[in-house]
Amino acid sequence: MRPDTWGMFVDPAILRFFGQGLLETLSIAAASTLLSFPAGLLFALGRLSRRAWIRWPSIAYIEAIRALPVLLLIVYFGIKGSTLFRPLFGSDFDLPRFWAGVLGLSLYTSAVLAEIIRAGIVSLPGGQAEAARALGLSYAQSLRHVILPQALRLMVPAMMGQLTTVIKDTSLVGTIGVFELLRQGRTIYTQFFNPIEVLLFVSLVYFVVCFALSQGSRRLEVGRVPRIAQVKVQELQLRDQAA
Amino acid sequence: MPGAIAFQFPDLFFGGLWVTIQISALGLAGALVIGTAVALLRISPAAPLRWLGAAYVEFFRNTPLVVQLFFLFLGLPLVGLRFSSDTFESIFRAAATGMALYHGAYVAEVVRGGLLGVDKGQIEAARSLGLSYAQMLRYVQLPQTFRAVVPPVGNIAIALVKNTSLASTIGVTELLFGAEIVESRTFRAEESFATATLLYLLLTIPLGLAVNYLERRLLVAR
Repeated sequence: MRPDTWGMFVDPAILRFFGQGLLETLSIAAASTLLSFPAGLLFALGRLSRRAWIRWPSIAYIEAIRALPVLLLIVYFGIKGSTLFRPLFGSDFDLPRFWAGVLGLSLYTSAVLAEIIRAGIVSLPGGQAEAARALGLSYAQSLRHVILPQALRLMVPAMMGQLTTVIKDTSLVGTIGVFELLRQGRTIYTQFFNPIEVLLFVSLVYFVVCFALSQGSRRLEVGRVPRIAQVKVQELQLRDQAA
Repeated sequence: MPGAIAFQFPDLFFGGLWVTIQISALGLAGALVIGTAVALLRISPAAPLRWLGAAYVEFFRNTPLVVQLFFLFLGLPLVGLRFSSDTFESIFRAAATGMALYHGAYVAEVVRGGLLGVDKGQIEAARSLGLSYAQMLRYVQLPQTFRAVVPPVGNIAIALVKNTSLASTIGVTELLFGAEIVESRTFRAEESFATATLLYLLLTIPLGLAVNYLERRLLVAR
């Protein structure tokens, strides 16, 4: 290795360049999480619905999306995102690359979050829902005041774990031209011809962020997660960890 | 009609699917070997070996696979390590290696759980019968572990099949890259991506059903 190529990592201009990339990475992750949480909640409830015309489309959505590579969704929205939204926003609408990436990531993350939330709801003792209904609460009220507060709290560590996957996946959005952390790194090493140093530095940054998050999620005390939910969460974490 | 375009560009769709299958199979085989080795490090009696195993798992699980692929594809040749003198063969091997290294970390965690799940009494019994540590692993602890980890490893295999799409970022013409090439030639994005989608579902949905079946069967058996 050439020792002179490490000097750049103390140059404030270079560090600012990486900083912009990290900021973009975190913004994509935040926007995707914020978009996919409500969608995931809806699909989780949809999949638990007693009405078949709500349940089956929810199952199809969740299972089909989870069976696809997230990069395929991102690339698709990168190419066709603008055309898809033109009927809504007018014929000269141009979907920013950032939002195309967020859309692809959110589609995927919403399906995974739906399964995490559903695992939380299913693992609650049946007596909770029955007691709420017996007290005269409507279905919506029992969800709002009894089921969801308990189920979501139980699933906070699992959802935080999924957030580390989202952060790792943001590195895919660089392929459609968003200047996130990895893409900034690629710009730098094509200038300075030092991919080893830059990629090690970039990995270190991802590592610090993701390691802190995953350790944090493991330390959170949210009470005992029932065995059935643990099994489901483990399955999700193995099957849906992309990138 | 989605799917019809696959017969117009069979090299890119079916050829791409075949490359996807090859990378998946090689990557999974590598991940199983690496995962078992790292899991054995993580439960080893020597502390430095345990740290080495933990460092491997945490590093590969907490950095993006694309970064690892770029490193194998661009970084290693600079220090004189080449997968092959042929460029196409070289990126193919880099992709398969990346899959094995990354998913190996996940396999290691699952195998470690399986190894720790084997009853202590069995290990003590094997050792007191005069088996060496290696013999005990070979005849007592590992066989029981492998049976227990089949469903979780199946889940990792599904993730691996999907993640082979990242090989497109380093230029391997697998299924997703094949679809992108067809799209750029024909501008028929819907058909190209719908066809790639169908072909991915053809791989991942049967795998998912098989894993669910095994999970249920092993759950009953316990």
